[in-house]
Amino acid sequence: MPIPCRAAVVGASLVTSLIALTACGASGNSGGSDSASGKVEGQVTFQTWNLKANFKGYFEGLIADFERKYPDARVKWIDQPAEGYPEKLSADAAGGTLPDVVNVSPDLAYPLAKAGLALDLERAAGKYRGEYLDGAWRSNAMPGLPGVYAFPWYLNTGPMFYNKRLFRQAGLDPEKPPKTYDQLFEAAASMAKKSGRRTAMLASTPAIEDFGRYGVRLMNAAGTAFTFNEPKGVELLRHYKDLYAAGALDSQALTAKAESSGRKFQQQAVAMNPGSALDLQTFKKEAPSLYRSIGITDTVSNTGKANMYVQGLMVNAQSRVKPAAVAFAHFVTERKNQMAFARKVAIFPSTGGSLDDPYFTREDGTDATRVRVAAARSLKTAVNYTPVPLSDQMKTVLRNAVAKAVQGKEPPKAALDGAVAECNRLLKTG
Amino acid sequence: MNRAPGERRLSARQLVLRYLLLLAVLALTVGPFLWQLSTSLKGPGEDIYRYPPSLIPRQATLANYAGVARIIPVWDFALNSLKVAAANVLTNCVGAALAGYALARMRFRGRRTALTVFIMAMLVPVESIMIAQFVTMRELQLNNTLIGVLLPGCIGAMNVLLMRNAFAGLPYEVEEAAYIDGANAWQRFARIALPSVKGTLAVVAIFAFMGAWDDFLWPLIVLSDQSKFTLTIGLNFLHGTFADDQRLVAAGTVIAVLPLIVLFACLQRYFFRGVGEGAVKG
Repeated sequence: MPIPCRAAVVGASLVTSLIALTACGASGNSGGSDSASGKVEGQVTFQTWNLKANFKGYFEGLIADFERKYPDARVKWIDQPAEGYPEKLSADAAGGTLPDVVNVSPDLAYPLAKAGLALDLERAAGKYRGEYLDGAWRSNAMPGLPGVYAFPWYLNTGPMFYNKRLFRQAGLDPEKPPKTYDQLFEAAASMAKKSGRRTAMLASTPAIEDFGRYGVRLMNAAGTAFTFNEPKGVELLRHYKDLYAAGALDSQALTAKAESSGRKFQQQAVAMNPGSALDLQTFKKEAPSLYRSIGITDTVSNTGKANMYVQGLMVNAQSRVKPAAVAFAHFVTERKNQMAFARKVAIFPSTGGSLDDPYFTREDGTDATRVRVAAARSLKTAVNYTPVPLSDQMKTVLRNAVAKAVQGKEPPKAALDGAVAECNRLLKTG
Repeated sequence: MNRAPGERRLSARQLVLRYLLLLAVLALTVGPFLWQLSTSLKGPGEDIYRYPPSLIPRQATLANYAGVARIIPVWDFALNSLKVAAANVLTNCVGAALAGYALARMRFRGRRTALTVFIMAMLVPVESIMIAQFVTMRELQLNNTLIGVLLPGCIGAMNVLLMRNAFAGLPYEVEEAAYIDGANAWQRFARIALPSVKGTLAVVAIFAFMGAWDDFLWPLIVLSDQSKFTLTIGLNFLHGTFADDQRLVAAGTVIAVLPLIVLFACLQRYFFRGVGEGAVKG
């Protein structure tokens, strides 16, 4: 996951409701002038999400290039810290101080698009569509709204990391990690049994991506109702309940977050954990003894398609410098510039053809390259399983339902039915 | 052995038990901080999430602190925080003392109502009015300024109540005597009442400082320019988008906590007196 979701839950309910409020006041003329054509001039405010600390040089170079290409345009770059980003966006949306070009993920773009604050790029910049991977472009299409509301920017996907030492101890073949969910459940159960419940296979309960990879249909085609309570979803949850009872899930799995399960994996308390191409560096630095027995494999999946995380650039529909804002957002997400970014850090460009670059196809024997090549390969078919309208609040609803079912406090079917009903209610009122 | 009369003899077992309990509580409260401190001193190549955790770094280094300063302008952020926190201490001490004195000693119509309003104000959760506050600040053109950060918290209702109770606890007769000697309200406030509540004032000062220094969400919402960020926001940049370096995060945490420890050490004498002084305890 590119951006671990930290304190996002606190203000999540606020975000949607307040943006809905603003929509009444502020979006009166948003449909009026979508023309992004015009002279590229004026000052564009560009907001990134926690990228300044590590990539200052890259972005300053990018901005200088843009200003050289369009001498009448200026770019003012601001960067927001990791935490509290949804709250910041909603306050800016309410106060009318949203920057011209904003770094968003699809779920963050959704309330803004609904409030009429995001420019429909299919209309304003549809000519660029062909430059991007189709799946990436469509990931910013919002159910119930026409058009696409952000340029796709960088993508991420992760391999599955596993601990060969723990596999060996449990009598599992460290060279044959599980590939499908059935194999995973079997291996987890035998590991728990062999180790006398001391070593857990997984650190967390299933999230929405797991439902997706298991092959559960998450939403109906029109995007108007959630469907993860279908029999397939119940089946997945029942499996997890058995695992939890057998001690194959970490004892703190019910409250685990991406960060905490990563830590459990580093402590070598769990044997398998999803990660991203970047984690390898972290392991090397923070857990050298784990790094020595690390195994890397594809994500466990029944559909054969990995999960993809997308970051995008949204253009403010009320921007005073729309032509320049669209031009800049396109410039940042251009193939050449994304490729340069990908060489700085382990992200993957969303532009067509970039993933065929030798950088993403040729192995050079190092682990880092192996992870990168494998991830790039899986990205070509990857899907963003998380439905766009699934807000942080709804994720919490699902999480609580899963926790109840896994503990055996509620039957899986009833728990998921309740979660779906609650999410549908939030979807309607949000 | 000589013993002073009245000193009770503790059996060795009781003494040991007492110290063990105290040590257990100490470990609970100080342990996490020590872990942060030790993580911030650990060099590259050490397991930091080892279980059981090791507190003594094997390759102790200060490089992480230098790393923090390299990634973010940490001293600029600290200066901004200091400005806001110092101003917050000043406005809270002055404002809360004045308002508290008025509520405790002045007789005027609506005094009870005013007190009720102050108590009611404490019941409103800050998060629920944050966006409204932000829109207000924008109307006042104070968004993206440090004044905007300061304003909503500059006189806390809790502090006013603390001061009110401290003043109300003073014997009325002293002020009556001053009144007979011809002192007006200002003189009674400044010369008689205020010097008697120094302890509570120290409590207000330390709460105000901590509140401003630790606040995250409001400054985040009101500020946009990095040059104006306060330390809590700035330190958040250490959480990398792609990978966290826990050593840097720990070093940042220690930098952030240090001023609070220093302040507490300085005001400690007054602080414990103050906690007992008013009836409302923080």
